[in-house]
Amino acid sequence: MSAEFELTRNITIGQYLPTGSIVHRLDPRFKLAAFVILILAIAICGTYVGNLFALLVCLWLFHLARIPLRYGLSGVKPAVPFILILAVLQLLFYGEIAQGGTIYLQYGVVTISSESVRLVIVSAMRFVEVIFLSSVLTLSTSTTELTHGMERLLRPLETIRFPVHAFALIITIAIRFVPTFAMEMEKMMKAQASRGADFGTGEWWRIVKRTKDMFPILIPLFNVALSRAEDLILAMEARCYTPGAARTRYAHYTAHGRDYAAVAVSVVMSAVMVGIPW
Amino acid sequence: MSQPIIEVRNLSHVYMQNTPLEHRALTDVTMQVAAGECIAIIGHTGSGKSTLIQHLNGLIRPQSGTVIVNGLDVSHPKLDVKALRRQVGLVFQNPEDQIFEKLVGDDVAYGPFKMGLPLEEVRRRVQWAMELVGLSFQEMKDRPTFALSGGQKRKVALAGVLALAPKVLVLDEPTAGLDPRSRSELLERIRRLNREEGLTVIFVSHNMEEVARLADRVYVMADGRAVCEGTPRDIFGSQEILRAHRIGTPESVDILYRLRDQGYPVDVGAYRVEEAADQIVTLIRQ
Repeated sequence: MSAEFELTRNITIGQYLPTGSIVHRLDPRFKLAAFVILILAIAICGTYVGNLFALLVCLWLFHLARIPLRYGLSGVKPAVPFILILAVLQLLFYGEIAQGGTIYLQYGVVTISSESVRLVIVSAMRFVEVIFLSSVLTLSTSTTELTHGMERLLRPLETIRFPVHAFALIITIAIRFVPTFAMEMEKMMKAQASRGADFGTGEWWRIVKRTKDMFPILIPLFNVALSRAEDLILAMEARCYTPGAARTRYAHYTAHGRDYAAVAVSVVMSAVMVGIPW
Repeated sequence: MSQPIIEVRNLSHVYMQNTPLEHRALTDVTMQVAAGECIAIIGHTGSGKSTLIQHLNGLIRPQSGTVIVNGLDVSHPKLDVKALRRQVGLVFQNPEDQIFEKLVGDDVAYGPFKMGLPLEEVRRRVQWAMELVGLSFQEMKDRPTFALSGGQKRKVALAGVLALAPKVLVLDEPTAGLDPRSRSELLERIRRLNREEGLTVIFVSHNMEEVARLADRVYVMADGRAVCEGTPRDIFGSQEILRAHRIGTPESVDILYRLRDQGYPVDVGAYRVEEAADQIVTLIRQ
């Protein structure tokens, strides 16, 4: 009850846990590449053993990054309903497509075979693995590093005139302002509650009323967002930001042996995940 | 001292409890406010002032300790929060951010409408609240809110809270960011609300001139504790307290201390601008 308005507590985007581990110290470009490779491998890998191995890799990464596992679990928790619904739907309606194996049950359109069971279990595992991986990545990498890494990895797209730098800047600014707006919103909710507003207490079917209840928060929030955007533009222009100009940057990354090693390790692990035949 | 309208006993609060970002904001705070008093809460950034005042209208419930407002126990799980918020009007920092209606009158009327009052009563309350903060009801009620000056917007926001007809008005840095004239006018309005309308006023401030001008009593907060309490005369008159808690002083107090250090016979506790000026005039005449 006392956490009624503590919005910032639930925001894990941009949360960084500085433990100074080797995972934290990796060059962000290589780190991002390594994680992308692993995630791709997980997406391809469709076997029990392969996914068990991937799960072990995730746990090992948590250990290596010295991040308590409960951070990963708290990321999984809100996804549990989705995973369950997905599992039920796949179990009921995927038997037709995932043919093969022994058929356990057949009733109308519902076919449950060993293949569809495997699909259900594997996709739930994939979900958890991807959440684990992205948790390790974001908890061990500051948002600035992350966008630098992303900008570098996307640079090949510049040849097809994709505005990579602008894109990276947008992402940086967006992530940067998530906690700020969460705080603004918290303040707005408290201010309106002090004037007698209540949120989300109406019956759920009275959608119009419940939407209207949000106006006293949303309208001021938009106002604040717009005026903050204006301030940001002024601040950037005052410091001579020119869109599209060639820019040097403050942070320079030099690749060390460990960075190449990280990518190599992730390639090997991915090969194992994809290659395991069971 | 008459019956206390607010009683805070051994209040502690921890933000983001059970996360690594856990942060202790209040430790064992005790304070009492009598009906009709004007209380200033001062202290450096992060000393827990805002956390403390959010307990007063139940935005934050006590984790340990008790808060009792006019007989309502804020920690009681079945507390009627809305009734509490009608008794204690809380005005946040930069309250003009919360204005959302197109017209001034509509925005002030938001609270009373939410209370479910009949239209006539709402209208009466809006008029009363607007006149109290110095906005002419006839002239201002149909003005668009976006076209107001900063000082006017703040008055509208204040009126929006006053329209709930609270017994206690709590303000978080009411004059921050205003120009000197609006600042002085707003202070005068708050003073009158306290003296003439009988509202109990609690305000947070960094501005010691304001504290000297308005407050009957001052609570000094540091590191989440209420470290010191007294009349402005007690606080500003004691160099030990000022030094120990790194409290700034109003300029009038500064001058009196400097005169005293030069060996002039002045009373540093008589800090109000008029009193200080009188003392200096007497000195010059001698």
